[in-house]
Amino acid sequence: MLPQARIASRKVTSAVYALDIAGDITSFAEGALMAAYTQAAEAGARTFILNFAGLDYMNSSGIGLLVTLLIRANRQQHRLLAVELKDHYCHIFELTRLNEAIRVFADEAAALAEINTL
Amino acid sequence: MSAGGAADGIGAGEVWRPLADIRLPTRPGTDRLAADLVGCVVRCARLAHARREQLQTAVGEAVLNALEHGNTYTSELPVLLEVLVSDGALAVRVTDYGSSGPFAPRIAPDLDAKLAGDQAPGGWGFFLIEQMVDVVRVSADAAHHTVELLLYFDQDAPA
Repeated sequence: MLPQARIASRKVTSAVYALDIAGDITSFAEGALMAAYTQAAEAGARTFILNFAGLDYMNSSGIGLLVTLLIRANRQQHRLLAVELKDHYCHIFELTRLNEAIRVFADEAAALAEINTL
Repeated sequence: MSAGGAADGIGAGEVWRPLADIRLPTRPGTDRLAADLVGCVVRCARLAHARREQLQTAVGEAVLNALEHGNTYTSELPVLLEVLVSDGALAVRVTDYGSSGPFAPRIAPDLDAKLAGDQAPGGWGFFLIEQMVDVVRVSADAAHHTVELLLYFDQDAPA
């Protein structure tokens, strides 16, 4: 069976959408991730909170997928934030420097507090 | 690594005991399977949770390389996974049936270069392996690639 990812977009405010990620982020998650991103962008999202609370596994292909998403978001002047990352994946974000491009917050409330200060 | 038994290059006089010797299928998702299996096999070893997760990530990436670059997703070719333990360390060997020489990335991944379009978005696998374990050894012969991963206990707090 192929690795499975379930990614749903959820409106938080008119310009902020959460992408709730569950399962495995690998190359096989590309369709689900890009579809959720596109759906939220077309609904008016400018800031995307990647909620990793349901993440089971992420490999290097999944990291590459996040970089692809980041490139796409940068081109459209969208912002990506990450929340609910387990310690191990926070460490990987630091090693890859993804945390410099996708700011990491403990939870959605903390991310929203940051958004509201801008 | 020498051409002798598994993990015999780690240190003189080191005695290695096999914990697992597993033949994995070449198919999508086997990297995750391997990471989970190794997590179970080393559960009783003197590894803190964070170190065990690092080993699992390194194993998953080594197996992903074996699937993609070694066996090129040829389903008839297995990936061999060996786990060994000594008094001082854990060793995991991942062997595939690639014949293209050892997989070694030529360019270190750089996020800025990737965001600028100067590097492909992927290519993080070997970098992650190197970051996750204490020693990485890559070897090859005419018909196999082997990646050996070592994690020392003396850099680890007791679990």
